[in-house]
Amino acid sequence: MLPSVYHGVWRAAVHTLRTRGTPPCRLLSTAPLADAETIFALSSGHGRCGVAVVRTSGPASATALKHMAGLTRNLPPPRTALLRSITHPQSKEVLDRGLVLWFPAPHSFTGEDCVEFHIHGGPAVITAVLQALGSVAGMRPADAGEFTRRAFQAGKLGLTEVEGLGDLIHAETEAQRRQALRQMSGELGRLYQDWSHRLKRCLAHVEAFIDFSEDELIEDGVLNQVDSSVCDLQAEMERHLKDERRGERLRSGVQVVIAGATNAGKSSLLNTLCQRPAAIVSPIAGTTRDVVETALDIGGFPILLSDTAGLRDSPDLVEREGVRRARERVEQADLTLVVVDCAHLSSDAQQAAAFIQGHLTSVLPTQEQPESVFPTDRFLLVLNKSDLLPEEQKQKLDRELRCVSGLPPVCLISCHTNEGLQDFLTVLHSSVKTLCGDPLSGAPTLTQARHRAHLQQCFAALAQYQRYRDMDMALAAEGVRLALTSLGRITGRVGAEEILDIIFKDFCIGK
Amino acid sequence: MLTKKLPPLQSFLVQVSRRASHVARQQYDVIVVGGGHAGTEAAAAAARVGAQTLLVSQKIHTIGALSCNPSLGGVGKGQLVKEIDALDGVCGRAGDWAGIHFSILNRSKGPAVWGPRAQLDRQRYREFIQSELLSTPRLTVLEGSVEELLVTEPNPEEPGQHRVTGIRLANESHPISASSVILTTGTFLSGSLFMGQTTSPGGRIGDAPSSAGLSHTLRERLGLRTGRLRTGTPPRIVKDSVDLSLAQLHPPDSHSTPFSFLNTHTRCKPEEQLPCYLTYTTPGVERVVKESLHLNCHIQQDTKGPRYCPSIESRVLRFPGRSHRVWLEPEGMTSDLLYPQGLSMTMPPDVQLRLIREIPAMHRAEIHTPGYGVQYDFVCPTQLSPALQVKSTQGLFLAGQINGTTGYEEAAAQGLWAGVNAARWALSMPAVALSRTESYIGVLIDDLVSRGVTEPYRMFTSRAEFRTTLRPDNADLRLTLKGFEEVGCVSSFRYQKAVRVRDSLQDALAALQSLALSPSIWRKKMPDIPMSETKNNVPTGMDILQYNDVSFETMASAFPECLSPYMEFSQRLKIEAVYRPHSEQQRKEIERIQREENMSLPQDIDYLSLPVSLSQEVREILDRVRPSTLGAATRLQGITPAAVVHLLNYVRHTGQKERRPHRYRTDQREDEEPRARNTSLPR
Repeated sequence: MLPSVYHGVWRAAVHTLRTRGTPPCRLLSTAPLADAETIFALSSGHGRCGVAVVRTSGPASATALKHMAGLTRNLPPPRTALLRSITHPQSKEVLDRGLVLWFPAPHSFTGEDCVEFHIHGGPAVITAVLQALGSVAGMRPADAGEFTRRAFQAGKLGLTEVEGLGDLIHAETEAQRRQALRQMSGELGRLYQDWSHRLKRCLAHVEAFIDFSEDELIEDGVLNQVDSSVCDLQAEMERHLKDERRGERLRSGVQVVIAGATNAGKSSLLNTLCQRPAAIVSPIAGTTRDVVETALDIGGFPILLSDTAGLRDSPDLVEREGVRRARERVEQADLTLVVVDCAHLSSDAQQAAAFIQGHLTSVLPTQEQPESVFPTDRFLLVLNKSDLLPEEQKQKLDRELRCVSGLPPVCLISCHTNEGLQDFLTVLHSSVKTLCGDPLSGAPTLTQARHRAHLQQCFAALAQYQRYRDMDMALAAEGVRLALTSLGRITGRVGAEEILDIIFKDFCIGK
Repeated sequence: MLTKKLPPLQSFLVQVSRRASHVARQQYDVIVVGGGHAGTEAAAAAARVGAQTLLVSQKIHTIGALSCNPSLGGVGKGQLVKEIDALDGVCGRAGDWAGIHFSILNRSKGPAVWGPRAQLDRQRYREFIQSELLSTPRLTVLEGSVEELLVTEPNPEEPGQHRVTGIRLANESHPISASSVILTTGTFLSGSLFMGQTTSPGGRIGDAPSSAGLSHTLRERLGLRTGRLRTGTPPRIVKDSVDLSLAQLHPPDSHSTPFSFLNTHTRCKPEEQLPCYLTYTTPGVERVVKESLHLNCHIQQDTKGPRYCPSIESRVLRFPGRSHRVWLEPEGMTSDLLYPQGLSMTMPPDVQLRLIREIPAMHRAEIHTPGYGVQYDFVCPTQLSPALQVKSTQGLFLAGQINGTTGYEEAAAQGLWAGVNAARWALSMPAVALSRTESYIGVLIDDLVSRGVTEPYRMFTSRAEFRTTLRPDNADLRLTLKGFEEVGCVSSFRYQKAVRVRDSLQDALAALQSLALSPSIWRKKMPDIPMSETKNNVPTGMDILQYNDVSFETMASAFPECLSPYMEFSQRLKIEAVYRPHSEQQRKEIERIQREENMSLPQDIDYLSLPVSLSQEVREILDRVRPSTLGAATRLQGITPAAVVHLLNYVRHTGQKERRPHRYRTDQREDEEPRARNTSLPR
């Protein structure tokens, strides 16, 4: 199993030989060369820019164009810019409004059917469009340099440009390697490496069972171990694939909910953040009864901010419904801003911390156990009305609360004077950024989409193991091999020798 | 083939020696040195391709001897035997003739990894091989010891390029000339035998060591890199002295499956076959090994031994505190010996006796011949082309243990392919290669020549990327047709048979495919099938046959009119149906690899001064390994994708320049273009 980057080079090689000179061998001229896969990628540079260009190449380009630019009947005239609403092909949600261009084969950069989407350059829009393209059947994110290689393949690059292509591939693989290193050193990398390691053992044990169990003393339990390992891996991958909602958050916005006791200043916070009186503010407790929603852009990330009713027991039926809805929102939220009136806090830091903790517990969704580790990454603590505290006490509170462990990040602000607002926005931005992943470092949107595709393949391949486990070990093993190859596209390939090494380490093979 | 009468051994020997005396000064196309598994397949294959072939062996009566275990096949190895047979080799038919215990290993694990295996009668095996060689046209057998390999001085225009001219035998002044020479010297190349603290030169106990001249020529004159490996064999046990009631009885399969595609049954009927016995080592065995380590030279030396066929010493040292399996295998129909598989040992004979008596079933056992170890030289196989020709010496081919492999089947496979290519070289035909996508033989050769070996190489099914396509059942479809049409090593009798099989299978699969019925009709016709409603609307016979508990026989009884003509292929059709969806998935990947393998790199490229931008590191790797195709180059460690692009560009330029003259040669058929070709896999 070769690294994927080789594949394209070879397809290119064969095709060029075919189109340019005498075929080197009889069969080459009859071998099917059509690349069924359609690729897509962001073609303009990464980072914030006015206009971004997303390009596709391959047979499914036309389908993508029709579905995403609402061109159900006819394709647009070739090479003509058309202003269209760009929609998600399944949800029909409008993602952006921009130019689309249709380049039918062979008059395109790659010689295949190509489409260009010229869209707005924000990371959220780009990610949304890339993800929408990924949902079209037959489309996948492009490998590094794949557009250029396809152009090479189609004879669109001159011979003198081959040198350039070599350099490009070198640069890209180098960049890929660095990027992989960067990602691999993180927690995600450790997770994938761990999976890869466990899969290798599974495969080694299955292969040992196939190649040696007739002659050797391979314990009967070997396959049972593999079974439970495969089960665990499947469950973990499923959870991982589900949990990884970052892309969806980017598309639909991060759900941020403001919650807290009545009259803490929740609606004031909403108004301050959206810089308009979106919610009614009054000194009367229980002013907000329903959920007030507003969409915001925090440092380039879309968020959906909801103001909720203050949490208290109320005899008022309407208000009780409001509180129920508020709790429901908190349960579904990606991030909850817990607002506390700092005038209610004791001047003693210990007592203040105890009060806050008690308060957080009351805000938390009921099914989450307060004894368990507090999910601090999903909460921000906003101590409002700091203008009512003397300067000295403010500083003391701020300093001491930071030292209390188990508390979410704390921000001391005043919606009245905007004091501390800038700091709060910085904290909010970094929380949202973590929730979405940072599309500005490297090209993670693309990389993540690719990772996701490989992980999904890996997951599906493990199901093949289970399907054939009791019928045909060769086909079951094929599932584990495929799973490892798919994961290997992220973590690096695994050769047959490596598997044999594990077999000989784990078993006494002595025919 | 099984009905063939073997000539009496006595008259056979007379014939051979008579031949030897008057042919010794002739000129041959191909000379094969060595009469083991590699040598016999090589000689037979070269003769089948059409070359006048001479097989030289030290002793004629050891030709076809099983030096170690009395068995053939197994998981991975059985696949090789099926492929050798599909290319009209000898060992499959010999196994069917000499087998005295047939079983298919891995029966429950799926047909792709079934391991056809047989215990052999040593004498019958040898007889069959010798008789087969004798009756092969164009093949002469000669007893003698090769003193010298004759090579030309390097051509001044092509530095390092020698050419083989023939051999000189010991005690003969006249050389025997040939265009190709195949060396299959096994463990005899600078071989030494080890038992306890004694060492003696030799490759097999009871046989004279081979001449030092041969290894001198390889190393000093041809400058080939060599390494050293070790192996060993267990003591042979007197059967009557073993208490077999203390061992577990393993009978053969109730129905014997022959190795050869030409045979429908084996010579020895299942009810006549002999059982094997299974027993286990005890803590006493471990104790004896540890106590006698200081008496054991072989085990103290750090020559690389196999990890998977280790001596009992290395087994208990690496995995102490366990009990290890020992198989007691019959040595022949009338032999009074048992072969204790798993007890290869090199300690002094008295300690060997003490050791085996620690095993309950052998507590009073007697040793007939003690076990011993062998150390021998091998030639690093990365110096060979995929045709198994030494890259620096035209006409010199190597096969078997000399290339760092272990096992009869591995040796036979290389022998066959070296024989084919040696004959083609001698007859001025272009070399042929087998792809790792189409055969285990291709996997074996590709692993050897492009990766080299660090320990004795044995075949495992896990080495094959496309295991579900390279199955024992379809070896004939993969190789027999190509073997006749492109390689020339298959008889037309076998070819006709394979064509008939292919056509019948295609017809049968088409018939199954055309049986497209609604689920309710399927249920009515075959009430027992677990038909799920969610399946596609009109499942075909192929879909239904994939079901776990549906056999072709049941389907044929439900649809006799269209399926009953194909009853003889019922098992193959069932296997085909189960694996077909997976083979289809793999086909794209297979085609990609085959295309890469079809782009050959000229062998005379001077990588160090090639005017393209390659890093020094990449140049050195390419210069050292000299991959024969771009596909092989991509598999090398340290070759970057960028380097591949530059190589490709270079090949394209030079390729166009070089190809032009060929087009004007009218004497060369287009399909004889001197490049490795691929064939499409059986669909």
